[in-house]
Amino acid sequence: MQPTSSMNEEFLKKWQMGLQIFRPSIDNTSVHERKKAIKLSADVAMASLRKGTTCWSRALIEKTATEDNFLVRQMLSGIKAEALINKKLPKKIVCHRKIVRRSKKILRRKSKSASEEAAAKAKRLVKRRTQGLRNVVPGGELMSNDVLLLQETLDYIVSLQTQVNVMRSIVDAAEAEIDQR
Amino acid sequence: MVFVINIVSSSTLTFTLFLSHSLSLQAICFLKKKKKKITMNEGAIGGDLLLNYTDMSVLERQRAHLKYLNPSFDSPLAGFFADSSMINGGEMDGYLATAGLNLPMIYGETTVEGDPRMSIPLETTLGTGNFRKRKFDTVTKDCNEKKKKMNREEVTEGEEEEKSKITELNNGSPKSIKKMKNKAKKEENNCSNDSSKVTKELEKTDYIHVRARRGQATDSHSIAERVRREKISERMKFLQDLVPGCDKFTGKAGMLDEIINYVQSLQRQIEFLSMKLAVVNPRPDFDMDDIFAKEVVSTPMTVVPSPEMVHSGYSHEMVNSGYSNEMVNSGYVHFNPMQQVDTSSDPLSCFNNNGQAPSMWDSDVQNLYGSLGV
Repeated sequence: MQPTSSMNEEFLKKWQMGLQIFRPSIDNTSVHERKKAIKLSADVAMASLRKGTTCWSRALIEKTATEDNFLVRQMLSGIKAEALINKKLPKKIVCHRKIVRRSKKILRRKSKSASEEAAAKAKRLVKRRTQGLRNVVPGGELMSNDVLLLQETLDYIVSLQTQVNVMRSIVDAAEAEIDQR
Repeated sequence: MVFVINIVSSSTLTFTLFLSHSLSLQAICFLKKKKKKITMNEGAIGGDLLLNYTDMSVLERQRAHLKYLNPSFDSPLAGFFADSSMINGGEMDGYLATAGLNLPMIYGETTVEGDPRMSIPLETTLGTGNFRKRKFDTVTKDCNEKKKKMNREEVTEGEEEEKSKITELNNGSPKSIKKMKNKAKKEENNCSNDSSKVTKELEKTDYIHVRARRGQATDSHSIAERVRREKISERMKFLQDLVPGCDKFTGKAGMLDEIINYVQSLQRQIEFLSMKLAVVNPRPDFDMDDIFAKEVVSTPMTVVPSPEMVHSGYSHEMVNSGYSNEMVNSGYVHFNPMQQVDTSSDPLSCFNNNGQAPSMWDSDVQNLYGSLGV
């Protein structure tokens, strides 16, 4: 599914609300600061759209909250989503490296046929990729199983697409406007 | 007098022996967990016990399946929500419904159908040898129509299967059972890939529908594994629709790779666009009045993304990411690759226009306009 226009509008609204909070503090700052503010507000707006139902949104808010607590709180209160900041996340999955390494050594000692090896290689590849996906999606390490991970990825991709589309449309409009001047 | 007592006692004795024999037999079957011929034929047991045996076996089977089912019973589709809600501590509010996916429709159907099937009669459950092999398989992973068909079939075939059961027992071989089931199941074959057998259902319609696949292991672990795999493949299908260019890949690894690249590119695009916005607009509130006044007047537009836009953005992004730094340093620069996507001179008309949406957009814009206090 593609992001709908209603989603775009909602996102835009929340984003604007968030940016308004930034307005007094970022009038004359550098490009980088502005960019950070824009991106931060966009991320928070996107995450708040989900209202705490998805893991990645909560993880994202948590991440931004730790970096820039005060402003994020303000933003969330502006967007009327303050409760989101207190939502609990599932525990992180801890992999004890020693144990994993030891078990891998044990596995390697077993004799393998050609087909088994191919299957094992494929499995390893898939595992590596899922790990990569966990790194990319916010809160990926917190998801305990693959099914959940894929689900969150789906939702995350849709939100990202919304964000990109809204931003791009604004940029294009701004550019067009500047062109005309 | 003594004779009478003796006769009575002997009959009771035989009766108890009878019972104990049957019980032990069933206990053995229960314990051994092996596929074997109906041992009832070996013993000198009457026909009515055979019937009892079948009844109990079926019920037992149903019971065992229910036990397996209970912890995680939902059709794999319904588990889309249920599973994750369990994991997240029940906080998933069906966000996918709000996101507009049509999954909830499917799930609604299956769960409704599943519930009456969940309840099984609480009869005695004793193990059997042969029938333990029929394992539960929530079929909804294939399609809904299949389930409906099954429901209809179950109801109609109730009595037939009773009879067939008895005949099977007389034959005493699993293959004959398969044949009969396959005959009954021909209507369903269009939905299932491998030949699957459906276990019986008695007159009572609230039995769990059970099936096992030919040539596949049927213990609970592998079934759980199978369910999980099907869930994953289903999600992957959705992802395939979402991520452009994913249809070339058929394997999990390739698709995952593509998905990772896509997500990373989207994230980079967002960074890039926010940087661009920061450059273009000295004020963080984007001068909405300037931007949208023109749009409201001239072209009613909607921000409806077309797949090509996103896709082309994806491909162009690769080109742009290297340029972003220099662009920023040089100030506002006209980005040609991005503009190439525009089909007309008006940059906003590159989005598809929806019929009804423009009015919503306009009204929203007016609201924003007002709310910004300009």
